[in-house]
Amino acid sequence: MALLAPIIMDNGTGFSKIGFAGNSDPSFVFPTAIATRESASASTRAAQPSGRGPPIPSKSSHLASKRGIEDLDFHIGDEAMANSKTYGIHYPIRHGMIDNWDHMERYWEQSIFKYLRAEPEDHYFLLTEPPLNPPENRENTAEIFFESFNIQGLYIAVQAVLALAASWSSNKVVDRTLTGTVVDSGDGVTHVIPCAEGYVIGSAIKHIPIAGRDITSFVQTLLRERGETTVIPPEDQLKIAQKVKEDYSYVCQDIVREFRKYDVDPLNYFKRMEGEHSVTGRKYTIDVGYERFLAPEIFFNPEIASSDFLTPLPEVVDNVIQQSPIDVRRGLYKNIVLSGGSTMFEHFGQRLKRDLKQIVDRRIEASEVSSGALMRSTGVEVNVISHKRQRYAVWFGGSLLASLPDFYQHCHTKADYEEVGPSICRRYAIFGSVN
Amino acid sequence: MILLESHSVIILNTLTEKFAKAGSIDVQFVDYDGVRFHLSTPQRKTLLLLSMSIRCWEELVQYGAMDVIKREYGSYFKPDAEPEYNVSLEFDLEAIPEDAEAREAIIKSASLLKRNVLGAPFELAFSTQKSLEASASPADGSTPAQGALMQIHYRDEEAIYIQASQDRVTVVFSTVFKDETDRIFGKVFLQEFVDARRQPSIQNAPQVLYSNKEPPLEIRSVPGLKNSDDVGYVTFVLFPRHFSNPDKAYATISRIQEFRDYLHYHIKCSKAYMHSRMRHRVTEFLKVLNRAKTEAPSGERKTVTGRSFSTR
Amino acid sequence: MSNSLRPYLAAVRSTLTAAMTLENFSSQVVERHNKPEVEARATPEALLNPLVISRNENERVLIEPSINSIRLSIKIKQADEIERILCHKFTRFMMMRAENFIILRRKPVSGYDISFLITNFHSETMLKHKLVDFIIQFMEEVDKEISEMKLSLNARARIVAESYLTTFD
Repeated sequence: MALLAPIIMDNGTGFSKIGFAGNSDPSFVFPTAIATRESASASTRAAQPSGRGPPIPSKSSHLASKRGIEDLDFHIGDEAMANSKTYGIHYPIRHGMIDNWDHMERYWEQSIFKYLRAEPEDHYFLLTEPPLNPPENRENTAEIFFESFNIQGLYIAVQAVLALAASWSSNKVVDRTLTGTVVDSGDGVTHVIPCAEGYVIGSAIKHIPIAGRDITSFVQTLLRERGETTVIPPEDQLKIAQKVKEDYSYVCQDIVREFRKYDVDPLNYFKRMEGEHSVTGRKYTIDVGYERFLAPEIFFNPEIASSDFLTPLPEVVDNVIQQSPIDVRRGLYKNIVLSGGSTMFEHFGQRLKRDLKQIVDRRIEASEVSSGALMRSTGVEVNVISHKRQRYAVWFGGSLLASLPDFYQHCHTKADYEEVGPSICRRYAIFGSVN
Repeated sequence: MILLESHSVIILNTLTEKFAKAGSIDVQFVDYDGVRFHLSTPQRKTLLLLSMSIRCWEELVQYGAMDVIKREYGSYFKPDAEPEYNVSLEFDLEAIPEDAEAREAIIKSASLLKRNVLGAPFELAFSTQKSLEASASPADGSTPAQGALMQIHYRDEEAIYIQASQDRVTVVFSTVFKDETDRIFGKVFLQEFVDARRQPSIQNAPQVLYSNKEPPLEIRSVPGLKNSDDVGYVTFVLFPRHFSNPDKAYATISRIQEFRDYLHYHIKCSKAYMHSRMRHRVTEFLKVLNRAKTEAPSGERKTVTGRSFSTR
Repeated sequence: MSNSLRPYLAAVRSTLTAAMTLENFSSQVVERHNKPEVEARATPEALLNPLVISRNENERVLIEPSINSIRLSIKIKQADEIERILCHKFTRFMMMRAENFIILRRKPVSGYDISFLITNFHSETMLKHKLVDFIIQFMEEVDKEISEMKLSLNARARIVAESYLTTFD
């Protein structure tokens, strides 16, 4: 049988992106949630060793009692959400790492058999893992995929590295390098991850507690302060705020000038947005104003929304690079890659580049002065790369790498696994970059 | 989920989305048994091209797959298939009916493309049986006429054999298990398939026979059968009551062609279940072992009232 | 508990308790090494006579004592090929997690399914009788677990077959 396309699965904390290599978008994007018959409280206990074991099937042989295969009675993804009334919903991944292996194994089982409709024995798989994932987790993953699903081969890649690979699709990228800084902002949290030649510099990773969810709630606050929310039914407010964020927001270059522009010519800058009451179908319109540029501004001036985290994103990026080994810093400044839905704002990259460049230039200037003007710097190149595939960058990077011909040589095959055991998955070779 | 579905979720979702709002697309995906799909808009956004490549296409054409496609898809069928693929359907979004129900029907039937194509030999076998039944059986007691043995090599090492006779249609699956665990689990499952019919409630089900290594009588004449330990043969004997009317025949075809996937799906589910049992058992054992650990002295101890506790 | 199981386990328990008299013992061959003698096998006089306790031809326990360590290997009952594969899967699953099971050996002694290695460091930091309890409980439950897994596999297979065949009416 001709080799079938490898399957790429990027299971994130909030959403799973699943599809086949070679495509530009995942075939399925749905919540990483599983709805089972056991109550939600029972499973939080199950995460720790729980007293109750898996149900033991009864020996009753009549079909009327379908006991014994309760473990097949579950839904995943959107269907899990739809069945939340009769089932208990669980999120098997927490903070990017797999928390409940029983649920995860069944989640994978159904995503392969029901959604992808692929016979795992015929496919290679590329999975993703967060940076600093303990190697035991890789071994457990390998154990499930090779022993339960008999897959042909497996490659587990670090998400940040895939995001770097995804940026090769941008026409601004000239050499395919795996050195760079990844700014990954999803729904829950934003990471800044430096990578050198495909390896994550773990000690320098920083997390920022500002991401998609915070922007949405900030938009909601702004709308409420301006009194727009009086016409929006309370249950739709979050949805409207999300829509404003996704469809109308952009990053401005100068916040003061932007305010002035809006005040001088409100007709041109204020947008009207129509909404529909989700229950009654009543139509209403709201004005969308300053939140258009204020929403993403919380990355650059966090003090306008948050009181406990005050470092702007460009400064965090600069800190991360400064903490990395000195010989890769140039490469890290030169290749800053965006990934995740919350980096999709218009001009986000330009603004990040400008602010970062200012910080860097100021530092160079200061060092030139303190050297007594004896040393001249050639300057540091700062580049922020945004591209079309940013939203599912990690998945797309996986799709790109897995469609390279040498992907198969870098996978661990079932034969390798049987020879060595799960510990084989402790190491993976980096491939794909030209140097 | 106990039973697998027959339709492709990706086709269903993508077509629904594209029918509602045209947009360019170019995706490749698969279905069970090495079927490859390609859904694209090669010329313009409103012209969707769905192509399928299936391993046993030549055999299927021989057994009437073309007629089935023409019947099911009519004008959507594109006579010259996309290169590298066996069959193509073309949907012009400007020409499809506006009516929501009709659209839904088109989408649904497109998502069943693989099922329909693979169903062709079964349909042929059912009609052969009907015509054999109509012709009177030979009075002299010689062996009654039989339909030709149809072979469908739907996977590299596995095949389906279908033969119609006067009072039945025999379907034989050859199965190969790559993994030792799978082989043993598979044996348990297949044995239950054979035994299940003893239940009074499923007397009407087709008769199932299972033989390991030894091919059943019907296909013994086929050349090139592998004779090794990990090959098994599962025979389903379908009686006329299983395809007495079109609805029943339809359901039977959908069900039987997914037999292999169903079996393998459940073998894998069982292994997943075993894993969760073992995980549970291991944590239990660990708890017992941890009881043996002596507690590390925990520094300063307090009395109930909160004062430091010390022994003199 | 069947008739022969009780004396079998009792024999294992008392032998194990008796054998677990371990003391610190430095290597006599290499300076500043301290290895379990039962594994190193470098000093014959530090090794004691190994002992097999056998319930029947399929179930037995090998206890190899030495001055600073004791190795216990168990052969688990395997009546047919289903039990054999389940037993293999289960012991492998456990040995994969040997890190957590401090006293579990990553590989069984040949001819046995699973081995434990208890050194004087273990018996010093852990309660001796509880360690013995653990081994005994493991022996009891592993048989139960494997036969339950076999039953559940059969039950599943039946349900799966029935669900499939009932769709054909």
